[in-house]
Amino acid sequence: MRRRLPVLVMMILGANFVRAQSPPPLDQTEQIKILLERVQQLEKRVAELETKAPAAPAPAAVSAANAAAAAKPEMAEPAPPPGPVHQHESAESQATVRQMEAHYPSLQIRGFGDVDFSTTDQKGTTSGFNLGQLDLHLASALSRKVTYFGELTFNAQPTGYTVEVERSIIRYDYNDYFKLSFGRYHTPIGYWNTAFHHGAWLQTTISRPDFVRFGGTFIPVHFLGLLAEGNIPSGGAGLSYNVGVGNGRGSMISRPGDAGDNNNNRAWVANLYSRPTRLYGLQMGISVYRDKITLPVVKPTGNEFREWISAAHIVWAKENPEFLAEFANVNHRNILTNAITNNQAYYAQIAYRLPWLEKTLKPYYRFEHTHTPLSEQIFTNQDLVESILGLRYDITNYASFKGEYRNTKRLPTEPRVNGAFFQTDFTF
Amino acid sequence: MNATSKRIVTFLWTVLWASLALHSPSTAQTTRGADIAVVVNADTPVADLSLSEVRKVLLGERQYWNSKLPVVLLIRAPAARERDVVLRVIYQMSEAQFKQYWVAKIFRAEAASPPRIVYSNDMQYELLTALPGSIAFVDSRNMRPGVKLLRVDGHVPGDKDYPLR
Repeated sequence: MRRRLPVLVMMILGANFVRAQSPPPLDQTEQIKILLERVQQLEKRVAELETKAPAAPAPAAVSAANAAAAAKPEMAEPAPPPGPVHQHESAESQATVRQMEAHYPSLQIRGFGDVDFSTTDQKGTTSGFNLGQLDLHLASALSRKVTYFGELTFNAQPTGYTVEVERSIIRYDYNDYFKLSFGRYHTPIGYWNTAFHHGAWLQTTISRPDFVRFGGTFIPVHFLGLLAEGNIPSGGAGLSYNVGVGNGRGSMISRPGDAGDNNNNRAWVANLYSRPTRLYGLQMGISVYRDKITLPVVKPTGNEFREWISAAHIVWAKENPEFLAEFANVNHRNILTNAITNNQAYYAQIAYRLPWLEKTLKPYYRFEHTHTPLSEQIFTNQDLVESILGLRYDITNYASFKGEYRNTKRLPTEPRVNGAFFQTDFTF
Repeated sequence: MNATSKRIVTFLWTVLWASLALHSPSTAQTTRGADIAVVVNADTPVADLSLSEVRKVLLGERQYWNSKLPVVLLIRAPAARERDVVLRVIYQMSEAQFKQYWVAKIFRAEAASPPRIVYSNDMQYELLTALPGSIAFVDSRNMRPGVKLLRVDGHVPGDKDYPLR
């Protein structure tokens, strides 16, 4: 015991010494703050000296110049140019301003990526890794009021990779109340579809809710056409809107008619949401979407349908806690037979950024439910009851690791499926 | 536990607490700073904003002073006190959340670029005078002529109810 104690004391002192050699980041931050304050004080002092410097020698210089001018008026010269130090400072200042001025066109590229692992107890499935979407986002200001936004994804397939143009938008800003754009969007129905797009790093969970998943059919995830958007003068209500007209669903109803509409009917969408100024973090909204769907295969009951989608959402976007909830109803009416079906989907998600470990941990839970009736005429069955319990760990400001347990039930006749899912996602 | 062991344990605790106390951030270093003034380019057609309006501007929800004059956001680099106050009072975000917010904002096609980062007061004032529509946050002790000071909720820096401190 007595032999071990000096070793223990030495270890504590040693650890103490090591800590002294590498102070924690908090100390460094304080030091940086002190240095910045010192820089500011010095800047102030320099500014004071610069204003005082010409004033001090002025009487002698002015009197000498006056005397010389009086003696030889024809030789009076303009004041000498500023010294080399002033010229240098002025050039530096101009260069700084030039650098910070907007230049057109300017291009910013940002990428998103993720790598996933999944395993479930569902019969017939295999566990393993898969490469998520590699996503490139482009933002380019073309002038003070015209901006281009693009998004490309590279998707792993069994035989190679496919490239998809997810969004391609050119927007003209008149002011905050009216911005008009043309292109391919994420349809502004509800919240998730326009809040998180393809970068998994942006969302708390590994995957999107089932009814807004990419490649899904429940709501039209993409939209091709024109969109007007902006704020509505509404004081503390903080209202904003999106109104769009476009091709609507294509022959394959999960996709918009990128290469042209498949009927002469345009779809339209309207989204109204509020961010009350007194409740910073809260967003509530409603959306409607109207389209005519023309299926490629003509059945005796016809192949044309009217579609009405109505949706609502409420979101508390802060992280202590974070709360998202959305509901959507998709109504289909057969134009020939007038048969009507309604499909509903909703989810509620709650997360909380824990105060420990530099706020890097965020546990979350999501419940989602989708119901498609047996009489549904367009969708295949999408019934789902799912619970997701997970944890997000932010490795850095730009990368995270997520782990999830999912409990999923599709049809009443099918068994529940349990699964573990892992993802590391990042932006670069 | 005999007397020697007790002394050794006491000594170890003393060493441990002393080491923690010596290396914890000094409270003397964290002094209360001056109010943070909201200043804009002198030609900007605004004189008074509510705190929620300032927040809208900083969140990029208000991007134009009028249809001809876009807002140009200037924000101090990390570790500056002005930035700390802006993040704490207006954004109510941590540094990481602030960065993520602007990545998401641009990704949603709601803004073309993030706020411009400035590294010193001199640079801030140069840009404020040179860039029409620019808005910045400065230590009220370092106010200089040539820019316009905005009232926030009807208050100026130094007022009892001024919110940015």
